[in-house]
Amino acid sequence: MPPSRWATSAEDDARLAKEKEEKRRRKAEKARKLEQQQKEAEAAAAVAAQNQPQDDEQSEQRPSKRRRLSPELDDDAPPKLLRFDAGGWSKSRSVENYDKLNDIEEGTYGWVARATDLTTGKVVALKRLKLEPNDRSGLPVTGLREIQILKDCRHRNIVSMEEVVVGDDTHRLDNSIFLVLEFVEHDLKSILEDMPEPFLSSEIKQILLQLTAGTAYLHANWILHRDLKTSNLLLNNRGQLKIADFGMARYVGDPPPAKLTSLVVTLWYRSPELLLGVKTYGAAVDMWSVGCIFGELLTREPLLQGKNEVDQMSKIFELCGVPTDESWPGFRRLPNARSLRLPKNTLTTGSVIRARFPNMTSAGAGLLNELLSLDPERRPTAKAMLQHEYFRQDPKPKPETMFPTFPSKAGQERRRRHEPHAPGRGEAASFGDADFTGILQGRDKEERGAGFSLRMV
Amino acid sequence: MAHLVNPLATPAQLYNLKSSSQLPDDLQEVVFTTTQCLTQAAGLLLELPQSTTAQASVLLARYWLVDSPMMHEFSDVSAAALFIVSKMGPLPQSARDIANVYAYLLSSQSPLLRAEKPTGDNPAEYYLSESDYYAFQNRILALEARILYALSFNTHVSLPHPLAITYLQTLDFLGLGDKKDISARVMQHLNTALLSPQMLYVTHQPHALATAAIYCAARDFGAKMPESAWWEVFDVDREELGFLVVGLMSVDNIMRKRREDMPWMNEGAVTRSKVEAEMKQRGLRVGNGTKRGNDEEDEVMRMMDSR
Ligand SMILES: Nc1ncnc2c1ncn2[C@@H]1O[C@H](COP(=O)(O)OP(=O)(O)O)[C@@H](O)[C@H]1O
Ligand SMILES: [Mg+2]
Repeated sequence: MPPSRWATSAEDDARLAKEKEEKRRRKAEKARKLEQQQKEAEAAAAVAAQNQPQDDEQSEQRPSKRRRLSPELDDDAPPKLLRFDAGGWSKSRSVENYDKLNDIEEGTYGWVARATDLTTGKVVALKRLKLEPNDRSGLPVTGLREIQILKDCRHRNIVSMEEVVVGDDTHRLDNSIFLVLEFVEHDLKSILEDMPEPFLSSEIKQILLQLTAGTAYLHANWILHRDLKTSNLLLNNRGQLKIADFGMARYVGDPPPAKLTSLVVTLWYRSPELLLGVKTYGAAVDMWSVGCIFGELLTREPLLQGKNEVDQMSKIFELCGVPTDESWPGFRRLPNARSLRLPKNTLTTGSVIRARFPNMTSAGAGLLNELLSLDPERRPTAKAMLQHEYFRQDPKPKPETMFPTFPSKAGQERRRRHEPHAPGRGEAASFGDADFTGILQGRDKEERGAGFSLRMV
Repeated sequence: MAHLVNPLATPAQLYNLKSSSQLPDDLQEVVFTTTQCLTQAAGLLLELPQSTTAQASVLLARYWLVDSPMMHEFSDVSAAALFIVSKMGPLPQSARDIANVYAYLLSSQSPLLRAEKPTGDNPAEYYLSESDYYAFQNRILALEARILYALSFNTHVSLPHPLAITYLQTLDFLGLGDKKDISARVMQHLNTALLSPQMLYVTHQPHALATAAIYCAARDFGAKMPESAWWEVFDVDREELGFLVVGLMSVDNIMRKRREDMPWMNEGAVTRSKVEAEMKQRGLRVGNGTKRGNDEEDEVMRMMDSR
């Protein structure tokens, strides 16, 4: 363990030793569980068979051997348990199996706490599924999707979910459904806010690389995250990044569904096509957010801090230039674009990304430029981005194990923080209504001086 | 991502289904198959994609392996399963639309599961008052939470349908007649399998179901099949294939026989009270599934202790 800038090596050593010990204990526990599971199943089968000797159809339909379909499923299950490849199902366990340690976050939508698993001693994060009281449409679809997607995902850069537990009164689950997540010490937003000096470029590269790997995994599995931002990216003390908060995520097909809500992604990370009200969009909306996060890693400040949708749009145009029929063919057909009036002269309104990040290598600036392409078609895919020259050039991405550790805030009560215009969970916000017209007209005069005008015609 | 496999029922769950509901096998089968027919019919009337309806059927089957079928009205569980799956999918259905469809299907005006087809010209029979609707909605919302809790929120279902299409393409060498006809027939068999009282979708993996449906369809069309054990290419052994083929082919017969034995089955959807009446007539005690142990393991443990 090399010395780090934030933690003494003695602490690190102790931590490593503890982790090792923890790992060994977990393994033993896991083995014990599997064994028990198998015994129970065998016992049950024996009992069932013995009690229904006449029912040979039932036992025949359970062939003794079942081949696995694909080698990558459940890597660590011993071959004897192939039957359980996809698991089984049973009632959710009770939240009483966990002991709450402290609140981590009481955010706009939810409540997250640190807790220990009473049987294994493992530290986890409990995230409460927020229910609207008296919501006559039942459990929120966003929460159900979050659960489904987290259950389906298995990747080192995606936060893992262990189970869903419920409160004691199983007949009324109001406000008592909890996601049990692996506990991750930090979120990137808190780190950026508190760190005394910016990340080194090798560290930024490593973080961005992991974010891209996680995003590529999601996109390869037809999942759009739709709310990538620094507060939804977790970082553990081993330098591993985990994408979290799938409250906005959903599966999409190819071609994507014809009508998706454009009210997704927190304003500062929202792509121009979403702001312009596009109905059919794809993975590129996440890549825009990745670009915004890249910029934020460089400056420790959110890149594009618009006050509202229109302001966000003009902040984007100031940085990335104004769209033209060449730079973004077809943008004029987007619902909210028809009312935009943009200058004809592109000389004064090109991208200023390079100028804003003068210290970056040209590969780095090039990548940021591509990610922040106004035209979603021109943004790189996550998969392609993994091959980008930026990651191969010196300085190389810093190995995760050499990452600095940070004081974890998750161990203490956390303050509430301000995050603008987080997308409504299933609720309609408004862009393009009467109020919006007013704002646009109001902005008309202000923006002229900035080199272009943005207004309703 | 485990996208080609499903969780399967444990032997304990299959055993427990029988013991908890205290339904004799034949009634158990009737409840399962007729409720799945109801789900299918509702899916059609709601114009849901078959994949949505099929997933709802599978969720319902899984749920009944945790809670006894006698714990709630069958049609409510069917409706709640559709509600959950459609909510997660591309075409969420409002509780009201679902309520209307079920009110119709359960009314005397629906031809579903009726020997004598009604004229269907009396809409008053399936009119839903506001209070009826409110009560229905309450039951569905409670069941939504209950079902998800019982399945530990695992709603993932892999269907064999897309696999079967891929297999058919691989099987070009079979020289099966019209491709469209045969794939339509394969889909029919797969949908029939959803109704099978043997709960084939929770006891067999999609690849086995797909292979068996192709086997049956090929046989229906009298296609000449290769001498080789072609199903092994799809990872299915002869024993499993044989079991599934018999299972697929026997659904109609089983139901025909049950309808002969129990004439009340020809008088519309099967309800809990009809089943209870039948139980009484046979001199059987009716279990509502509520007094039983919380966990199938408990039950098994108890039995093992008493040995
Ligand atoms: N697994 C976790 N481990 C530690 N902290 C977490 C974890 N998940 C979330 N958090 C903290 O809680 C905050 C809110 O969680 P998130 O999943 O983003 O929910 P929300 O929908 O409320 O934004 C995160 O920004 C992070 O600080
Ligand atoms: Mg969040």
